[in-house]
Amino acid sequence: MRTLLIKIGCLLTLACSLALLVNWLSPNGIPLIGQWDTEVGVVTADTDLAALWAEFEVPDVATAKRVFDSGKALFVDVRSPGIYDAGHIPGAVSLPLGDLEDRLEAVLADVPRQRPIITYCSGRLCQDSHTAAELLMERGFENVLVFIDGFPGWTENGYPVATP
Amino acid sequence: MVTLSQHPDSGWWTNGWVDLGLRWLLGGLFVLASMHKIENPAAFAKIIYGYDLFPAAAINLIAIILPFIELTAGLALLAGFYPRAAAVILSTLLLGFTVAIAINALRGHVFDCGCFTAAEKIVWQNEPAWMLGRNAFLLFMGWSIAFYRGRRVAQVRSG
Repeated sequence: MRTLLIKIGCLLTLACSLALLVNWLSPNGIPLIGQWDTEVGVVTADTDLAALWAEFEVPDVATAKRVFDSGKALFVDVRSPGIYDAGHIPGAVSLPLGDLEDRLEAVLADVPRQRPIITYCSGRLCQDSHTAAELLMERGFENVLVFIDGFPGWTENGYPVATP
Repeated sequence: MVTLSQHPDSGWWTNGWVDLGLRWLLGGLFVLASMHKIENPAAFAKIIYGYDLFPAAAINLIAIILPFIELTAGLALLAGFYPRAAAVILSTLLLGFTVAIAINALRGHVFDCGCFTAAEKIVWQNEPAWMLGRNAFLLFMGWSIAFYRGRRVAQVRSG
């Protein structure tokens, strides 16, 4: 029994050492502690990336509403079509993340590259709006922001919702 | 003379080749399951968060270390290196997974199992009943290897 426990300990020690080493060396490695508090922001394992994103995020729902009221920005809903149909921010175009790359040029053909674009998904538990924003920036859109509170944040405040 | 297939102290079966088959099957499965998680620890961490069972400070650490425990113990079973120790580790993990899945199934919490990540996109495979049944079967395999008392085939280091 005692030798068995020692052997288990050996395997576990090997696994832990290997894990920390690979995580440290790998480009996909993550910090030892992540950001899992929705009060603070979007939940993510990668806090380094989160810090980088901070300046591209709409800080709160009220700011998003002000931008909405100004009518200057285009809201892009990256959730699945069924969820979009059930209710979305008025005027938002549907560009589900899954086929965003294929449909982007067609849907945003008339949108000037300078026009502010605000992506959103299902709030602070989803990362799709960030991924979408990154793709849009890559395609040359110059003013892309992420509305991290997304549709749940919008409805919680009783802001208008459109259904097709 | 005691032959390989008739060892008096064997477990519920008496054949070292059955033990080898179970070791390779369980070991291979865990090596396979660990791959996606190792490739993308951030996505795996999100899945662990989705279970809603662990303290925030532990989530990343679990995401980093757990796949390597699966990999190491899986490889150990494949290679016949400390097979009993590896089987005990994997059985303990399976027991933990089963409890985690069962808790969330009981409280009606919708979550992504994340067990094999890619394969789990098939919806019925993400059904708690299927996951629990599969885990029970794998657990049975793990215990069978752990409690096997006969001589093992293709073993590098015993125990």
